[in-house]
Amino acid sequence: MQKEEVFTDLIREHQALLYKVTSIYTDNKEDQEDLFQEIVFQLWKYFDSFRNDSKITTWMYRVAMNTAITFVKKKKRRPDSVSVADVFSTQSDYKDDVLEERLKLLYQHLQHLNTLEKGLIFLLLEGKSYKEIAQITGLSDSNVGTKISRIKKKLKTNMTKQ
Amino acid sequence: MDIEELQSAWTQMSNELNHQKKLTNQIILDMTKQKYQNKFTTITKYETLGAIICFAIAFFVLINFKKLDTWYLQVCGILSLSFLIVLPAIVLTTLKRIKNIDILNGSYKDNLKLYLKTKNRLLRLQQIGIAVGFIGLVFIVPVTSKIISNKNVFLTSLKTEQYIIFAITIVAMVFFCKWAYNGYLKVTRSAQELLQDLE
Repeated sequence: MQKEEVFTDLIREHQALLYKVTSIYTDNKEDQEDLFQEIVFQLWKYFDSFRNDSKITTWMYRVAMNTAITFVKKKKRRPDSVSVADVFSTQSDYKDDVLEERLKLLYQHLQHLNTLEKGLIFLLLEGKSYKEIAQITGLSDSNVGTKISRIKKKLKTNMTKQ
Repeated sequence: MDIEELQSAWTQMSNELNHQKKLTNQIILDMTKQKYQNKFTTITKYETLGAIICFAIAFFVLINFKKLDTWYLQVCGILSLSFLIVLPAIVLTTLKRIKNIDILNGSYKDNLKLYLKTKNRLLRLQQIGIAVGFIGLVFIVPVTSKIISNKNVFLTSLKTEQYIIFAITIVAMVFFCKWAYNGYLKVTRSAQELLQDLE
């Protein structure tokens, strides 16, 4: 299989992962599309340097989250982007009204967290273990544990306030 | 809503997303290609604009060429035309080569190396261009003076204010060349850094 084909298959297979990273780090559709493109480009850029010493998804999470953090720092609109409007689901795309409402609340709570906290809680929601989170973020296992319990507390406080 | 509820909403959303495979191969490739090309957009814009200006002046000289009525003014005209056409043409050709790098074949690193090689060639061309630009003043001033105000600067003695204008032009050119050349250095340096980033 050609490299190009392997890459596109990989992106198609894990597009949900990319979508979720972009939804965590942006608050409007334009930024989300922009970030999505930037992540795809960064993944392509470093595709050759991926070594099989970690899971492909671990590598994808790492690249996607680093790109998102850089993107948030720059927060610069790029004028000419490929139109990928149909690719992105909007909250109203979900058929289940209850889910739609819960997701709205979920994103509202996540917006109160800082960049690192968002990343950590995102990985936790993705069902990653502390060890995997540590691998992706480069933090130590114990540090991940401490930070996550702080984030949980912060979220709980926010939730009870509302 | 508590943490467990967050988790369950997230899992439900993940399951729904996993069933939505909306991206096509073409969209993915377009995204990749476009982001790559965007890296060179600014420099391409400036270089194209510069080339258009040079071609416009060359066209102006060309349509008024018959006004250059002596052999030495004609020589100056030909030299000016060559300077105004050849250098931007080489620059545009080099840019085309950079744009035509097929990023989907070969690694990003190899492509960037190729870009850097081409860009360095362009940098050397700019150095030559700056030198030629100063010499070119000697040709272009008599040509434009003859075409615009029908004055042969080789036969008329220059007034003090004309000397001053000439001097100001040279000083302005020195600053402009320095600015433009620094811009080029910045671009090649950033490409170099990108390359090192991949090592």
